[in-house]
Amino acid sequence: MNYLYFLYIEFLAKHNIPQLFGDLTFYVIPCCIIFCALLVVVLALVLFERKLLGWFTQRKGPNRVGLWGILQTLADAFKLLCKENITPKGADRFLFNLAPVVIFVPAMIALGLIPYSSEFTFMNFQTNLLIFIVIGAMPVLSILLAGWASNNKYSLFGAMRSVAQILAYELPMAFVILSVAALGSSLNLTQIIYAQSSGGGILGWFGIPCVIGFVIMFICTIAELNRCPFDLPEAESELICGYNTEYSGMRFAIFYLSEYAMLFANSMLLAVLFLGGFLSPFGKYLSPMIFPPEISSVMVYFEQAFWLFAKTFLIIFVVIWIRATFPRMAQFDLLKFSWAVLLPVSILNLFLMVVLKYLTGGGYV
Amino acid sequence: MNWAEFTNIFKDCKLEGDKILIGSELLKTIDFVKTNYHFDMLKEIIASDNGDGTVELTYRLFSPEDEEDLLISINVKDEAESVSSIFESAVADEKEIYDLFGVKFIGNPELKRLYMPEDWKGHPLRKDYKENDERLNWNE
Amino acid sequence: MSKLKLNLGPQHPSTHGVLRLILELEGEKIISCEPDIGYLHRGMEKMAEKLSYIQYLPLVDRIDYLAGFFYSELLCRTVEKALGVELSKRVKAIRVMLLELNRIASHLLWIGAFLMDLGAVSPFFYAFRERELILKYFEKITGQRMMNNYFVFGGVRRDIFSLEDVENIINILPDKVKDYEALITENPIFVRRTKGKGVLDKETAFNFGITGVNLRASGVNLDFRVKDYLYEGIDFNPVVIDGADSWSRYKARVLEIKESINIIKQALKVLESEKELEQKLVNPLNLTLPEGEYIQEIEAPRGLASIYIKSTGEKSPYRLKWRTGSYYSVNLLRKILKGAYLNDAIAISGSLDIILPEVDK
Repeated sequence: MNYLYFLYIEFLAKHNIPQLFGDLTFYVIPCCIIFCALLVVVLALVLFERKLLGWFTQRKGPNRVGLWGILQTLADAFKLLCKENITPKGADRFLFNLAPVVIFVPAMIALGLIPYSSEFTFMNFQTNLLIFIVIGAMPVLSILLAGWASNNKYSLFGAMRSVAQILAYELPMAFVILSVAALGSSLNLTQIIYAQSSGGGILGWFGIPCVIGFVIMFICTIAELNRCPFDLPEAESELICGYNTEYSGMRFAIFYLSEYAMLFANSMLLAVLFLGGFLSPFGKYLSPMIFPPEISSVMVYFEQAFWLFAKTFLIIFVVIWIRATFPRMAQFDLLKFSWAVLLPVSILNLFLMVVLKYLTGGGYV
Repeated sequence: MNWAEFTNIFKDCKLEGDKILIGSELLKTIDFVKTNYHFDMLKEIIASDNGDGTVELTYRLFSPEDEEDLLISINVKDEAESVSSIFESAVADEKEIYDLFGVKFIGNPELKRLYMPEDWKGHPLRKDYKENDERLNWNE
Repeated sequence: MSKLKLNLGPQHPSTHGVLRLILELEGEKIISCEPDIGYLHRGMEKMAEKLSYIQYLPLVDRIDYLAGFFYSELLCRTVEKALGVELSKRVKAIRVMLLELNRIASHLLWIGAFLMDLGAVSPFFYAFRERELILKYFEKITGQRMMNNYFVFGGVRRDIFSLEDVENIINILPDKVKDYEALITENPIFVRRTKGKGVLDKETAFNFGITGVNLRASGVNLDFRVKDYLYEGIDFNPVVIDGADSWSRYKARVLEIKESINIIKQALKVLESEKELEQKLVNPLNLTLPEGEYIQEIEAPRGLASIYIKSTGEKSPYRLKWRTGSYYSVNLLRKILKGAYLNDAIAISGSLDIILPEVDK
């Protein structure tokens, strides 16, 4: 970020524009643009999932609105915008309206914490990872709010299941994240990514030594996102729609979109922690080979973003694949699986990683 | 089944076609054939209005061992003994018959209107059921 | 702990129609269940008393929209038996073939819907893909996909054709069924959600009047097709599984699809040797049945289906009663759901294959 900042200020200084303007615009305008871009990505993600599910189930998927159906989600969002917002009679109006807001904020903050390229993170704190964990658990608050305020038994069941589930899966996840932090000797996501560059390409990624952790974290991510086979909180065939049964119109759309934003953010976190984030899988970036040297120094950032997004979509693909394959788990199996299997294994994994770190003597720094 | 043994115990019965028409003691009869001749399944209870204020209930019992049917029928007025203590499937059948014929089954735990609304007048499959009920005119 | 009353349905995504279950819950544990039906009641029995037999015939397909052939077969059979009409070999073979195709279509839909209840989306579409082949064939020969109205008193409406389509279906199906089994049968989540859940022992099944696949999955060898006159000369083994749980009911249905394919193959052989369609159709105008009572039964996909007609020699029956398998399965829910957890409840009630139009009639 700093590098880009200096480039920008330098550029403004050449044209005699005061630095104050630069300070203001540098942070505000790109943030807005990129948040909008992320919204578009999330919309694309919905389409991606629907298309993939269509292909998995031998259908065509959305193919009417726009070319190959690319405008389908936009049309759906527009439709939802035009719909009436119904608040049930017995609902707690204030909390009912608050819940969608509460769920959207953490999703957006989480997206801000991810390093998209080596110089580009919205909020680059020393403890990025820690904040991400805290933020990642926040949607459950909104789910609980939504479930309780709806005054609907199905919503309440969904919310209670969700809380039990997230509590159960947060813990193994935290242990895995701890082991990654130990490997990377940092709680800053950018530095964790750099720590993975030592092996040169794929071999340096933490997904190799910490493969157990990767699998656990992957399972926990699916569980935390309430996705199949852990989609009990919104189990369609049991609880109709779980916590958002009573939501309609734009409020429902916000729930829906934030779910995908959260999926996107969490998949990116997985890519960052285990798949080397923005690092190229070949050990070196390809853009100096493709582009002339004048622009390759800038293009490398785009390449980094490309790698991150590619890895993210790979993970999302697997998540959707799993959804198309597995039936839903039973509530008690789900909790048992976390407490009896994932938690001990994740603690073991932490121990192994610390030993590994000690033996290699900072080989992964 | 042993017809002679059966008539010895239940005097008040006669063969009518392929079914046994009994006069009374429905519960006892059915319990008897279940325990002694292994008619373990009650396929269905068929109700049919005789047109003279009585309803004929035909119990279609089935023996899974010999794969044969036994029809026991009884004429009742408005009340009958429930066989739900012997066959649980009778709960469902009796509910339906209560709804459509208005026969009260004494001992059935869940007797209430099934298809028709709670406050519906009359029982549709009775021959004396008046079809142009005032409730049907609600949308005119 | 206080009790919570939960209305499952009638507008609920997984009650396969409009079944309403009034559940009393303690946490997620069900302590009592009371099925409430009647949201789809069309008065099939009352209508029969007003209509002549031929007028009533198109309606009976709608008793069970997934297995309409079975019910028109029942009505036709009653009239034929009452009037002493004999069916030729070809007509019998046509009926057997269509009935079994219909049974396969019904079981395929059940597999899809059951897995949908368990939260897996894909098998639903796979099962519908194969079901579509069968429905396309029905449409070809009867002009309708579901409410076929193809059997008439004394035979079938018109001769059958494009038997190569049927051959195609029975060639494709075994592979596809193998695919479902690869995806579903050994899936650990599926096994954990169905093995040992919803146990229905023999005595309870008899007591609740459960028939059909649900009973055979409890280890009882009782298939009404064995004594059925249509199936004379056809060699098949009823599927009997000892297990009595949801998983066995699933497995039994999958095996029954294979068994049905076997029956269709034999029926096709008969159709090849008996090229000529000979049938003496009953004149439906002024059709009356001799005075008396008639009972006919058939093994429908959801258990024993039977018809009772009491005739007084008039144009329409004096009393007509249907017995359907699902009606008793719904009654069974009162017992089988007691003590189960909410998310097993859906799996268990799904495994019994309840179709609501059949329940409400």
